Amino acid sequence: MAFTGNFMCTSFKQEVLQAKHDFTASTGHTFKLALYDNNASFTAATTDYTATDEVSGTGYSAGGGTLTNVTPTTSGTTAFADFDDLTFSSATITARGALIYNTTTGGGSSTTETVVVLDFGADKTSTAGDFTIVFPTADASNAIIRIA
Amino acid sequence: MSSDAGKIHAGIVEVKTTHHRGFSPEEVAERCLSKIMSVSDSAPPAIKDQAHAFQENLRSVLVFYMKEAIKSDRTTVCNALLDAGQKDLAEMIRRL
Repeated sequence: MAFTGNFMCTSFKQEVLQAKHDFTASTGHTFKLALYDNNASFTAATTDYTATDEVSGTGYSAGGGTLTNVTPTTSGTTAFADFDDLTFSSATITARGALIYNTTTGGGSSTTETVVVLDFGADKTSTAGDFTIVFPTADASNAIIRIA
Repeated sequence: MSSDAGKIHAGIVEVKTTHHRGFSPEEVAERCLSKIMSVSDSAPPAIKDQAHAFQENLRSVLVFYMKEAIKSDRTTVCNALLDAGQKDLAEMIRRL
């Protein structure tokens, strides 16, 4: 399998309606971003984080990095959530995509419920350098998670 | 009401990487600027020009203070190394 574009996981859509995800800054849930090579086989039916085909290398630990939430807001009729950019420092890694998942879904602990699968479009490599995920502009047209 | 109403969308992330170095203040400032402000392609020319001028001014301020922060952090690191008895290493950091 391979990455085939960005998509929301179906379970996330259901869990949003069940009020299981809180993206509020500081007081919300803890979301993480894990990196994968192009053998990863995610589909909309993916419900949990997996270590299968996760990248490994200097500066990267299994499970990925913790994201910093930006409190969701609205513009017009669209609501959106955002995260601060995430950097894996002094890293030697190659990744083709990523998975964002919630480690405290429903206020629980050690959960791994998926949110969104991200396709980088091509392999991205850092060598003894920084590997930074730059989140899109937080607006109604570009934000990482938007409900129109 | 737009035809997208009620739909849930995923945005597109960018990945920026470096090899055998970190990001320069100029590279970080570019990312920072895009978070602070964006200029609409459809904005009236006068407003667009003014916004771009402000953006450039903001860029130079960001780069200057990032460099100040780096210098200040190196002072902190140098002192931590000196406290740990690593005089040569501290001197190397100071000269960066």
